[in-house]
Amino acid sequence: MTLQEIEGTLIQGISTIANRDSSEFTPDMPFHELGIDSLGFVEILVFIEKTFKLELIASDLTKKDFETVRTLAASIDRSL
Amino acid sequence: MLVSSRKCYLSGSDWVINSLDHLMKMTTCSGNMSQIVLMLDSPLDGKNLSSTVNSFAKNFPVLQGRVARDFKLTPYWKIPAACDRDVTLNVSQHTETSTLETFLPLLEQSANSRFADEREHLSFHLFNSSRRSALAMTFDHRLLDARGAELFLNLFQQTLQGKGSFEKTTFTSSMELTRWGEKFLAGRNVNRRIISLSRSIPRSFSLQPGIDKSFKYRLLNFTSDETSAILDRACSESGYLMESPFFLAVITQAIHELFSARSDDGSSYLIPVTTDLRSGQDILNELFFNHVSFLFYQIPVDRCQDMKELISQFKLQMYENVKSGFPRDLAKASLLTRIVPLQTLGRIIRIPMSGKIATFAFSHLGKSLYDSPSFMGGNIDNLFHMPRVPVPPGIGFFTNIYNKRLNLVISYLDKLLSEDEITLLEEGILKRFGVTTDRNRFSQN
Repeated sequence: MTLQEIEGTLIQGISTIANRDSSEFTPDMPFHELGIDSLGFVEILVFIEKTFKLELIASDLTKKDFETVRTLAASIDRSL
Repeated sequence: MLVSSRKCYLSGSDWVINSLDHLMKMTTCSGNMSQIVLMLDSPLDGKNLSSTVNSFAKNFPVLQGRVARDFKLTPYWKIPAACDRDVTLNVSQHTETSTLETFLPLLEQSANSRFADEREHLSFHLFNSSRRSALAMTFDHRLLDARGAELFLNLFQQTLQGKGSFEKTTFTSSMELTRWGEKFLAGRNVNRRIISLSRSIPRSFSLQPGIDKSFKYRLLNFTSDETSAILDRACSESGYLMESPFFLAVITQAIHELFSARSDDGSSYLIPVTTDLRSGQDILNELFFNHVSFLFYQIPVDRCQDMKELISQFKLQMYENVKSGFPRDLAKASLLTRIVPLQTLGRIIRIPMSGKIATFAFSHLGKSLYDSPSFMGGNIDNLFHMPRVPVPPGIGFFTNIYNKRLNLVISYLDKLLSEDEITLLEEGILKRFGVTTDRNRFSQN
């Protein structure tokens, strides 16, 4: 899976969780602007586990990894 | 889908909220209500407020509805053709009242005042002093959940400014009398979870006999600098966007300290946490009725000492709850309860865990959906919620952020805890938030 494909998959998942059109999201959009709370964030982590088989809840990911969809995609790419 | 403009079918969550309302009327002085409080920097004109509120509210006959059952026994909200009475507004003038500390006893009274009858679900209480005012919008949880109430107030303010449009407000109403297999499957999952939770009896505060009990409140309000420091601490100790597990861990440790001085044979803390099932545009349109479900956290008493481990427990359980789809299963399964009369459902809810339903309730509303800095021309100093908590447990913690400032409200049944215990609880929370404990807890910016 390429980085762009990971970004695209993430945007699809996030837009479903946030119940918004995927065209509203871009890879450079800061995570805190997605309008999600702790629970929405956990839903994204569950989506990542189911899609990429990566359990991020217990990982050492930092705020920096979640700056944008792109940085998260890069973290996932490194872990795959 | 709105089946009829006069008939809105209740969801399973609505029916559970209705049964909690019934239980609370049986055990306390009033029902399952809450209020949003706006602290304003100037007094408001009561007459102007009353006429403006009534002219807005007449667009929503749903505000004067009541619960009924149709021929298929499905409960619904019977909506009148039009609003035929005014929204109650109590106005009082208080010469010596200017700080939140002096307003709080008045706000406690309004939070505990009963609605006039089964058709009243919204009222306002305005407390004016010469320099400030406090406005409480008291609402029936059967009609509005906390976010819905904030949006209602927001829509009111937007309409005043010529920006709001209540035509977009929808009711997603359906009898939901199909796909029974899905509901029973969800019911099986919920049942398994409840059996698993009931293997350990939770610690809980003993309820005193008598029914004429009111709720008391403590408000911890933080400045924007304190809020920023607390959220930074939550981020470093709990992780990015993980303030809820941090708040839960802080409160649980403070509660654990209290129980250390009490004798209770419970072996865990059981905490139901409200979660909103709406997202995105749904939240803006679905103002009325309940769109919530619950996550359940169970923390063994012997796992409460270490904050890091406690946070990790909450994060893991939050993850497991979401991964297993528990909140949505609970919402689906509760549709099956609608056939049961409220009195019976109230008894059924109390069967597991010897009636000790929970240790405390918690809800983090996050950033307030009321997004204006003012209300009817007055600047808002603060906005917070004062809910009455279902009994049992009779105690709850509610957080929200308004204008970059965090509020934490402790709501508790009178005499459930002593005043010394509540103060200890408060200090325990402040200490763990890293906020100095000698500050004036009611202070305004």
